[in-house]
Amino acid sequence: MAVLTVAPLVTVLVGGISTQGWDRLQLLAANPAFKDLLTNTVIWVVAGTVGSLAFGTAGALALQHRLVKAKGAWRAILLIPWITPTVVAATAWKWFYSRDYGVLNSLLMSAGIIDEPVGWLTDTRIALLAVVLVHVWATFSFVMLMISAALQTIPQELYEAAKVDGAGPVRTFRSIVLPSIADIAFIVTLIVTVWTLNSFLPVWVMTGGGPAGATNILPVQLYQYFLQGDEGAIHVLATIQLLITIGIAAFYVQRTRRDPQR
Amino acid sequence: MTALNTTQHNRVRRPRLSTPVLSRFGAGLSYLVLIFLTVFGLLPVVVMIATSFKPADQIFRLPATLLPSSPTLTNYVNVFTSSDMPRAIGNSVLAALLTALITILLGGTAGYAIARIRFRGTGPISIGLLLGQLLPVTVLLLPLFKLVSSMGVLDTIPGVVITHLTIVLPLVTWMATSTVRSVPVELEEAAMIDGCTRLRAVRTVVLPVAAPGIVALGIFSFLQSWNEFVFASVVSRSMSSRTAPVALTDFAGQFQVDWGATMAAATVISLPITIVFLLVQRYFIQGMSAGAVKG
Repeated sequence: MAVLTVAPLVTVLVGGISTQGWDRLQLLAANPAFKDLLTNTVIWVVAGTVGSLAFGTAGALALQHRLVKAKGAWRAILLIPWITPTVVAATAWKWFYSRDYGVLNSLLMSAGIIDEPVGWLTDTRIALLAVVLVHVWATFSFVMLMISAALQTIPQELYEAAKVDGAGPVRTFRSIVLPSIADIAFIVTLIVTVWTLNSFLPVWVMTGGGPAGATNILPVQLYQYFLQGDEGAIHVLATIQLLITIGIAAFYVQRTRRDPQR
Repeated sequence: MTALNTTQHNRVRRPRLSTPVLSRFGAGLSYLVLIFLTVFGLLPVVVMIATSFKPADQIFRLPATLLPSSPTLTNYVNVFTSSDMPRAIGNSVLAALLTALITILLGGTAGYAIARIRFRGTGPISIGLLLGQLLPVTVLLLPLFKLVSSMGVLDTIPGVVITHLTIVLPLVTWMATSTVRSVPVELEEAAMIDGCTRLRAVRTVVLPVAAPGIVALGIFSFLQSWNEFVFASVVSRSMSSRTAPVALTDFAGQFQVDWGATMAAATVISLPITIVFLLVQRYFIQGMSAGAVKG
C-alpha cells in the first residue's frame, strides 16, 4: 500500500518543489488563463460543497420528520444518484442539458419559464454552474445519509425535555439539533470539500473544460497536461493541489486530536 | 443500528408522546423537499432510460419529448451486436471481481490486525488510511502510470486492477476495521480458551459473524472498480483492457453522437448494479454511519 500511494506522492513533491518547478510555476502563472483556472476552481469548490451540503441536509431533515411515511423508500430512491456511475450520470446530464434536443430546455419552455433555448453547457456564463449542479446531484445523497445518521443519535428525551422547558422549534433546533450534529457535519464538510476539489469526471465528460476554458478546473487541467505528456506542468499543478489537500487534512487531524473524547 | 429500525422502533414504542421534531419544517414542507429532491435525482436517469428506448427518428425530433411514443429495443440490439461494449463489460467484470477479491483478502487481514492486535502505530495507521481517501486521483495519475508501465502491465487487466487497488484498498481496510470491531472479542477469547488457535478462532467464529459485512465490503470494492474512470482511461490503451466507463465516453465522444445507443449503453452499465446496491444498501448505511458516528 505504501508503494502504491506514498512513493508516487514523493515523486510529485520532489518534482514540484524544485527550482525547475518554481520556474515552471512562474511561466504558468504569467498566462492569464491560469488566473481563470484558479477562479473557476474556487467557484467550483465553494458552490459544489455548499450546494451538496444544503441539498443533503434538507433531505436529512425532511426524512427525520415524524409524520413522513415510507422513510426507507424515500431514502432508497434518493440514493440512486450516488450509486449511478459518474461517467453514466455525466453522459446522461450532457444529453439532458443539450441546447437543441435536450429535455430540460423543452420542459422549461413548455412551462413558460424560458422563451428560447438556453445553452447550458455552451454559454460561458452558465456552463460552470450547470456542471456544479451535476456534482451536487452526484454527492448530496452522501451528505443526507451522514446527517441522517447523526440526527438519529439524538435521544427522544432531549426533545421532550426541551418541550417541557418551553423551547420553540427554532430554539430546539439551535440548542439540541445543531450541537448534536456539529461533529459529523464538520467531517462531512471536509470530505465533501476534498471530493469537490478532486472531482474531475462531470466536467471532463460534459465540457472537457470548455467553452473557452469557462469550466476548466485544476484536476481537468492536470488530466489535459497528462494527455499532452507535459510532466513539468503536471508536477507544478499536482503539488498545488496536493498542498491544498494536505492543508485540509491537517486541519482535520488537528481538530480530532484536540477533542479529548476521540 | 440501521436508520430505518430506530425510527420504526421509536414510532412503535411511543406513538403519541413525541413532539414534532422540527415542527418548523412541518410534514408538508418535508414532503415538498423530498419530492423536489426525488425529481432532481431521478430526472436525468429517467431521461437516460427513456432515450434508450427511442427510435432514431424520435431522438432529434423537436420539440424534445421525455417519453418515446413508440418504444423500441433497436438501441440495445445495436449496443450488443455492433459495438465494443460487450467486450468492455467483460473486461470490467473481470477487473472488478479481481479488485474485490484482492481487496477482501488484503484489506480484511489488515483490518483484522488493526482492530485486534495491539502494535505500535495503530492510531496513525488508521488515520492515514482515512486520509488516503482524500488523495486526488489526478495527482497520482502520472506516478502510477509510470509504475504500471515499468511493471510491464500497461493495457492489461492486472494493470487496471493495480490502479484500482490504490483507491479501494485503504478505504476498505479502514471499513474492515470497524466490521471486525463489531464482532464481540469475547467470542474469540472463548474459542481460544477452548483450545482454538487464533487462526481457527477467526475462521470458525469471527468470519461467520462478520460475513454480511465482508460481503458488503466486497460489493463496495466491486462497485468502486466498476465505476472508476480516470486510471482505467490511461492504463487501457486498446479493447484488450478497456473498461465499460471508458468505452462509454468513446461512444459519446464521436463527432456524430448516436444518443440512443449511448443511453442504452449507459443504462446497461448502471441499471444492474444500481438494483444490486439498493438491495444491499442497508449494510452500507449501517457500516458507514457507525464509522462516522464513532468518529
